[in-house]
Amino acid sequence: MHHLALYLHFVKLRIRAQMEYRLSFLFELFAQACLAVIDFFMIAMLFGRFKQLAGWTLWEVGLLYGMVGICFALAEMFARGFDLFPDNVVRGEFDTMLIRPLDTFFQVLAHQFILRRLGKLLQALVILLIAGSQVAIAWTFPKIAYLFIALVGGTCFFIGLFVIGATTCFWTIHSLEMINIFTNGGIFMGSYPFSIYRRWFRLFFTFVIPLACVNYFPSLFLLGKSASRGVLVAPFVGFIFLGGAMLFWRWGVLHYQSTGH
Amino acid sequence: MKTFYRTLLVYLAFARTSFQKRMQYRVANLAGLTTNFFFLLVHIFVYTAFYAASREPQPLNLTEVRTYIVLCQAFIMLMPLWGGRSEIADTVKDGSVALQLVKPVDFQAYWLADALGKAFYYLLMRSLPAYWLGKLLFGTVLPQQLGTYFAFAVSMLIAIYLSTAITITTRSIAFWTLDVTGVNYIAHTVITFFSGLFVPIALWPEWLADIARWLPFEGLIDIPFSIYLGTLTGVDIWQAIGKQVMWTLVFIGLGRGIITRGFSRLVIQGG
Amino acid sequence: MIEVRNLSKTFKVYHHRKGFFGTFANLFSRKHRIVQAVENVSFTVTRGEIVGYLGPNGAGKSTTIKMLTGILVPSSGSVTVNGYIPHRQRKENAKRIGVVFGQRSHLWFDLPVQESFELLRRIYRIPQEQYRHNVAMFDELLGLGAFFQTPVRQLSLGQRMRADLGAALLHNPDVLFLDEPTIGLDVVAKSRIRQFIRQLNAERQVTVVLTTHDLDDVEQLCNRVILIDDARLLFDGELATLRRMLSKERLLSVDYAEDYSDVRMPHTRLVHREGTRVQYRFSPEEIRTAALIGALLQKFNIVDISLQEPDIEELIKTVYEDNLILRETSKLI
Repeated sequence: MHHLALYLHFVKLRIRAQMEYRLSFLFELFAQACLAVIDFFMIAMLFGRFKQLAGWTLWEVGLLYGMVGICFALAEMFARGFDLFPDNVVRGEFDTMLIRPLDTFFQVLAHQFILRRLGKLLQALVILLIAGSQVAIAWTFPKIAYLFIALVGGTCFFIGLFVIGATTCFWTIHSLEMINIFTNGGIFMGSYPFSIYRRWFRLFFTFVIPLACVNYFPSLFLLGKSASRGVLVAPFVGFIFLGGAMLFWRWGVLHYQSTGH
Repeated sequence: MKTFYRTLLVYLAFARTSFQKRMQYRVANLAGLTTNFFFLLVHIFVYTAFYAASREPQPLNLTEVRTYIVLCQAFIMLMPLWGGRSEIADTVKDGSVALQLVKPVDFQAYWLADALGKAFYYLLMRSLPAYWLGKLLFGTVLPQQLGTYFAFAVSMLIAIYLSTAITITTRSIAFWTLDVTGVNYIAHTVITFFSGLFVPIALWPEWLADIARWLPFEGLIDIPFSIYLGTLTGVDIWQAIGKQVMWTLVFIGLGRGIITRGFSRLVIQGG
Repeated sequence: MIEVRNLSKTFKVYHHRKGFFGTFANLFSRKHRIVQAVENVSFTVTRGEIVGYLGPNGAGKSTTIKMLTGILVPSSGSVTVNGYIPHRQRKENAKRIGVVFGQRSHLWFDLPVQESFELLRRIYRIPQEQYRHNVAMFDELLGLGAFFQTPVRQLSLGQRMRADLGAALLHNPDVLFLDEPTIGLDVVAKSRIRQFIRQLNAERQVTVVLTTHDLDDVEQLCNRVILIDDARLLFDGELATLRRMLSKERLLSVDYAEDYSDVRMPHTRLVHREGTRVQYRFSPEEIRTAALIGALLQKFNIVDISLQEPDIEELIKTVYEDNLILRETSKLI
């Protein structure tokens, strides 16, 4: 309870700071939405020319796109602190976190809250809603619940990626950049059905970095493209991934070297 | 003539410093190379799947599109718009550009020299490895004539100038509004889209392609790579390069105007 | 209160190969060397003491403080603070210690001081009454009221330092760690902060461990000093011992107009010579300062002359060269 109240307090402060320049905030929100629209427009353009992709229609792909977009936007909104963590280390701010009687994971999480991601979030949500109405899915309660869990699980997956990237900072400042392949690259490749990728690529993004569990497997289930039982558990993989990432974090903190000893 | 050489040497020195500065970020470079290659792979998978499902003839065949993608991922780093963080653009944003304006060198020429140094670095460390890997894996098209290589090199060089000039112009907005993130966001997105970076303009719907042909941004990606692919030939090549040159001059003038006026405004405000 | 036993800390420092091929090789394998930042240090601090933890730059002061506060994990040896092991019981320890780093604020950069304090009240779960009482007291002693609504980023160095001190003490910690608390401050600000620390120590029995470069800090605050150099403990004892040494030796810097071949002076030791600049060490008990300067003026053509109290670096040199403390205290390791 104490932590929740504290978290909300931190978020309140963050939002207030971002709203200080209200006009530029709104403009950036708008800019993000524009970017997102153009982003999806490019996919639509290709469908206009080629009609379909490995048996998927535009709005089936829209379902993939919306899901991965929502998960990533939420993850960035809540856990951007981990993405920006190298700066904390360089500026010595992590020292400050370590002298507070609070969990470090909690503090990094509470350190940032990016309200601007609402722009991307809204766009992805709109695409998901349109896609949901255009594809042949009977939206029963179990399916809606499944979608909801998948979105939360996917968000956890991306947060987990941020956490892993941040943890590598305890050894080297550079390796974080590799994580961008899986975050920025992840939303890009996650916007298309996995069946178009080569086998080794699919295996890697299923079992090593379980990106496929964010939206591809859940979409297969929702669209009735797969009857396999595996797709039913896919939404939960994100939770396990985040759990593992948090353990990795806990271990990494012990190797923190601080700066300027 | 002698002063000309001396000036040239000064700018060459700038370019060299810029090149050496880049050399410090080698780990970041490896990460960047991996990122380029990752996007290259995904793009190629996507187009391959699209082409596999379509029977109709397309303006570009699959091999040409693959070549285009390899070129994109190999060469975008040469241009300040996409080539990572631009320290110089940052100086415009934080106002320390004023320090450069009082130096006895032309600031735009200095920036171009800096961009060239950077481009040379990326050519060695990114473009050539990425291109080589892409070619090895996907068998890209090679131009048949020596003249095509020459035209491509010229066009690519102008594209670097053009992208530098555009970057300077968009960043200069910092003189007028304090927070430019939003403006740059939109500018960057629009420019990226109309440059043909993600989808070659040849594959666009007719009406949109027409708009793109009237805008300066095709000169960044689509023109040099179309020359390489051989979809632009003969007189068209030189016409397209002429268009690039024209837009570059326009943006150099625009950036110059904004910055000198913005600078005098700064002085008046005492900022 | 604080127990340190055979504490050591080593860091891995990677080095970069130079040149084109070197940078390329760095991509694949990196060489590193082990740096010993703290080596086999032991000491005990009891409740209510003010201990000066001194040493030149890079001696391992900050590293020690960081291990005591739970920021760094020791490589070997043991630390307990208030009975807690800082790196293992970090949160428990954090509730009972206050930390101030002179180089960097622990406050929220873009928040006004008051809101930073409010946040700390929530984080440490400080009872309202205690909070109000402390804020009032710190306002009185440190004059926080003048800038209580100002964002931290707009504070002057002295104001920031006072705010940080107040912030570190809101939760009534038993131990206060101060890392260079007066660095870069003017004389007035320094004395205000020193007075505050003294008063706090007297009234609340707060144990204070402070690192500093400023010997005035030590003279005015500490009853005990611990000297470390090159990661090792050099001296642990009364300030009085140190003061005796201090008063003994002075440093005289002279800029000569000419490059004399022989600049030696009786009753002094030549410690440094660089061109026409020469430094002498002397003891006022052997030769009075005025007499020495008079003699110099008579003998040489002088451009500039200045007299310095030896700083910590200088002091440690003395310790090494003369084995002075070794004889007097036999506490040297």
